Amino acid sequence: MKQPLKSRNRSGIIERTLTDINNTLEQSVFAEKISRRGGLLQVVDPRIKLISMIVFLLTVGLTRQLAVLGILCAFTFLLAALSAIPIGFFIKRVWGFVLLFTGIIALPAIFITPGPAIADLPFGLSVTKTGVQTALFLILRSGTSVSFTILTILTTPWADLLKALGVLRVPDVPILILGMTYRYIHLFLHLTDEMFLSRKSRTLRKLSGKEERRLVGEVASHLLGKSLHLSSEVYLAMESRGYRGYPKTINVFQIRWVDWCYSGAMLAILSAALWFGK
Amino acid sequence: MAFELAENQPVYEVTNLGFSYDGQTPALEAIDMIVHPHEILAIVGSNGSGKSTLLKILDGLYFPTGDTVKAFGQILSEQAFRDDVFNFEFRKRVGFIFQDSDVQLFMPSVWDEIAFGPLQLGVEKQEIVSRVERALNELNIAKLRDRAPHQLSGGEKKLVALASVVSLAPEVWLMDEPSAGLDPRSASWLKGFISAQAQAKKTVVISTHDLSLVEAVANRVYVMDENHRVIAEGSPEVILSDRSLLIQANLCVNK
Amino acid sequence: MLNKSSLKKIPRWIPAYYILMAFWFLSTALHIPDGYLSPATTTVMTILVLPFWIIGLKKLREKISAKTVSAVALFAAFSFVIMMFNVPLPGGTTGHAVGGALAAIILGPEIATIAISIALVIQAIFFGDGGILAIGANCFNLAVILPYVSYAIYQAFSRNQPLDSKRRILGSAVGGWAGLTIAAFVTAVQFGIQPAFWHAADGTPLYAPYPLSVAIPAMVIPHILVASVVEGLITALVVAYLIRANKPALEFVNKIETSSAPSNAPKWRTLWIGLAVLIVITPLGLLAPGTAWGEWGAEELTSLGFSFIPEGLEKLSGLWSAPMPDYEIPAIQNPTVAYILSAIIGIFIVVGLVWLFAKLVAIGRKPEPQKS
Repeated sequence: MKQPLKSRNRSGIIERTLTDINNTLEQSVFAEKISRRGGLLQVVDPRIKLISMIVFLLTVGLTRQLAVLGILCAFTFLLAALSAIPIGFFIKRVWGFVLLFTGIIALPAIFITPGPAIADLPFGLSVTKTGVQTALFLILRSGTSVSFTILTILTTPWADLLKALGVLRVPDVPILILGMTYRYIHLFLHLTDEMFLSRKSRTLRKLSGKEERRLVGEVASHLLGKSLHLSSEVYLAMESRGYRGYPKTINVFQIRWVDWCYSGAMLAILSAALWFGK
Repeated sequence: MAFELAENQPVYEVTNLGFSYDGQTPALEAIDMIVHPHEILAIVGSNGSGKSTLLKILDGLYFPTGDTVKAFGQILSEQAFRDDVFNFEFRKRVGFIFQDSDVQLFMPSVWDEIAFGPLQLGVEKQEIVSRVERALNELNIAKLRDRAPHQLSGGEKKLVALASVVSLAPEVWLMDEPSAGLDPRSASWLKGFISAQAQAKKTVVISTHDLSLVEAVANRVYVMDENHRVIAEGSPEVILSDRSLLIQANLCVNK
Repeated sequence: MLNKSSLKKIPRWIPAYYILMAFWFLSTALHIPDGYLSPATTTVMTILVLPFWIIGLKKLREKISAKTVSAVALFAAFSFVIMMFNVPLPGGTTGHAVGGALAAIILGPEIATIAISIALVIQAIFFGDGGILAIGANCFNLAVILPYVSYAIYQAFSRNQPLDSKRRILGSAVGGWAGLTIAAFVTAVQFGIQPAFWHAADGTPLYAPYPLSVAIPAMVIPHILVASVVEGLITALVVAYLIRANKPALEFVNKIETSSAPSNAPKWRTLWIGLAVLIVITPLGLLAPGTAWGEWGAEELTSLGFSFIPEGLEKLSGLWSAPMPDYEIPAIQNPTVAYILSAIIGIFIVVGLVWLFAKLVAIGRKPEPQKS
C-alpha cells in the first residue's frame, strides 16, 4: 500500500492516489476471497490462530540462531501451501516487500559492522562475518514475522479476526471501534475515488503544484466534514438499536479437534525452536 | 412500565411539537399528529420540510422540550430514556430505517449487523443466532451472510438494513425515505414488504417524497410544507388528487 | 586490525547509504516492522503506551459519552485514508502524511491517541504494514509523541486567537512538522539502542544493526526535510480549509474540553509529560536484559566520519574518563552513558528549538496579556 517516495513528474498525484486506493480495495477483496477457501489455516479457530501468531512472532523475535530462523521461515511456506494460498502470490507479497525494504536497510550493515573480514572488495571495503550475519538476522526475522502475519490475515475473515481479539482481553469498546473504522475506511476510499475521478474528468490540463495541493486539501477537508457528519448519524443508528455505550460482542466460535491438533503441533514446533534457538 | 397499548389507544400522540437544532432556526413547528395501531402512515414533504427530524424524534433520538410527544402513552424525553428499563422497552418495540444505509450499516459483516440490535438489548445467545437466521431467510439474503457492507449494492444494503431491524421484531417501523436510491425492482419489493408488515399487525410510519410509494402502501397521509408545518391530513386518494396542495408542499411542479 | 583500516576508508560511502536508508524510513512512514526491535524493547514500548490508551479511553467515556465510539471510528477511518494521499511538495516530490497532528488539533491529543492507534492497528493486522509485536512501539511514536507534541505547539500558537486567525494555520504547520520530526527521533532512538544491547557472542547485532549515531541522522534529517514537511503541509491545508468552510470542526476539541479554561500551564504540561516520558525511555532500555555496548565505541564511530553526534560524544566521554580511550580498551561504561546523554541532549535541543520558536511567535503577538 505504501510506496517509496518518488520524485517523478508531478503529473499524476491524482492518478497515483487513485492507484493506491484501488490497490487497497483489490487487496481487501483478494484477502476476503482467500479466507473463504478450504485450507488448513482457514478451518482453525480464529482465536487459536491469533494466539499462535503472537507466540510465533515472539519465538521468531527471541531466536538467536540463524538456522532456527531459517527453519521457521520454511515452515511458513509449508503452512501457505497447506492453506490454499498461491505460493507465487505469497512470495511476491511477503518477500518482495521484505527484500525491497529490509534488504536495502540491511545492505550497508554487511560492510560497516565491525568484525572479521571474510572477503575484500574494491575501494577498501570488506564484507565482515558479523555484517553478513546481522543482515541475515534482520531479513529472516522480519521476513518470517511478516510471513506468519500475512498467513493469519489472509486466512481469517476480518470480522472473525476482530472477535478473536476478545481472547487477548481487548475490551469490547476498541473492538467495536476497530470494526466500524474498517467499515468506514472502505466508504471513504470509495468517496475519495469518486472525488478524484470527478476532478480528473473535469481537468484538461496538468494541475500546477499549488493547485494540486489545494485539491488535496479540499478532498481531505471534505472527507473530514463527511466523517464528522457520519459520526453523529451513525451514533443515532446505534442508539436506535439499543446501544447504550457498553457494547457487547458475540461469536459462534467452537473449538474442534482440528484446533487441538493445530495447537499441539504449534506448541511442539515453537518450544523446539525456542530450545534450539537459545 | 406500562408499555402495553390499551384498546384503541394511539401508538403516537404528538401535540403542538416544535423543535430546533440550534435554538433559533425552527426544524419543526406546531406539529399535531396521531399514529394509530396497525396502520401505514406516510409523512410526505419536500427535502428540508423536517420530516426526517420528526421521525428521529418519534424514535427517541432527538428530544423536544416539554411533553409534546407520547409513545404507547409514555412521554418521550431525555429524562425518560436515561432509565435503562424504559430505553430497553422502547428500543425493543420501535425500529428505525435510516435514509442512508451507510449510516445504518456500521458493523464489519452482515451477520454482525443483524445481530447487533438483539445483542445490545440483551437477547440470549442462542435466540440471537436463530433470529439472525430467520431475518436472513425472511429477506432472502442468506448468501450475503459473511459479506462486508462495502461489498453490497445499494439495494442489498437496504435489505440488510431492514434485516437488522427485523431481528429486533419491533411493533413499530419508522422508515426515513425507504425507497430513495432503489432500482425499480427493489422499490417494488419494498412496497410488498411494507404492506406485509401491516398485515402482521405492525405499525409503519414512513417519511417520503416518493408519491408512488404513498399510493401503493399508505392508509393515511400527513403533508408537510417548507415552513416545517403540517398542512394537510387525509387518505392517500384525497391527498394525491389535490394538485394545488402538492404544489404548495413542493411535491410536484405546475405543468 | 584489518577491519579497522578498511573501516576508515568508508566515509565516501556514507552519504549513499544514508540516502538509501532515508528512502526506506520515509517509505514506511515510521511503521516499524517486526524483527527490528527486540521483544524486550517492544514490551517496554507497549507498557509505555498503555497509560496513554487508558487516558484516551477514559476521556472518551467521560467527555463525549457513548457518542465517541462512532466519532473515533470515523476519525480513525479518516486518518487512515488521509495516510494514502500523495501530497505534492514544492520541487516535484510527493509524500504521505500520518494525519496525527490533524487528529490532535480536532480531537485533542488524548483521543487522537486512540484514533491513530486504531488506524495503526488496522494497518498492522489487515495490511501487514508495521509489525504486530511492534504495535506498542508504533503507537507510542505516532499516536502519542506526534499528537501530543503537535497539539502543544498548535496551542502555543493559537491559544486565545480567533477561529479564523492565520496563526492557527501557522501553528498547525509547525506543529505537524515538529511533531513528526520528534516522533522520528524517538523511533531512531529505539532502533539505535538495539545493537548495543542485543547482540550475539561474536558481536553480531541481533536486531536493527545500526547504532544511534547512524540511526538518528538517517531518520531525523530526511524527516526534517521531507516527511515532516508533508505532515505540516497537509495539516495546514486542512486547517486552512476548515477556517474557510467548517469552523465548528475547529471547536470540536473545545467542546470536549468542558471543564478547564484554556490557560497556559495545562497545555504546556502535555508537552512536558511527553518530554519526560521520552527521557525515561532511553535509560529504561538499560534495565532490559542484554550485554553492554559492543565494539561500537565513540572513538570508532568518529573514525567512521560520523561527526554529528559522535563529536559531542567524544567530548562527553572525555568528561567521564581518560581523555583518549583507545580502541583496544574496552570502553564500555562511558560510551553507554554518553550515548544516552547525547540522546537526551538531542531531544532537548529539538524540543527547545521548537519551544523557543513558539515563544518568539507568542511574544510577537501583541495584545496578549502576560500570562506566563
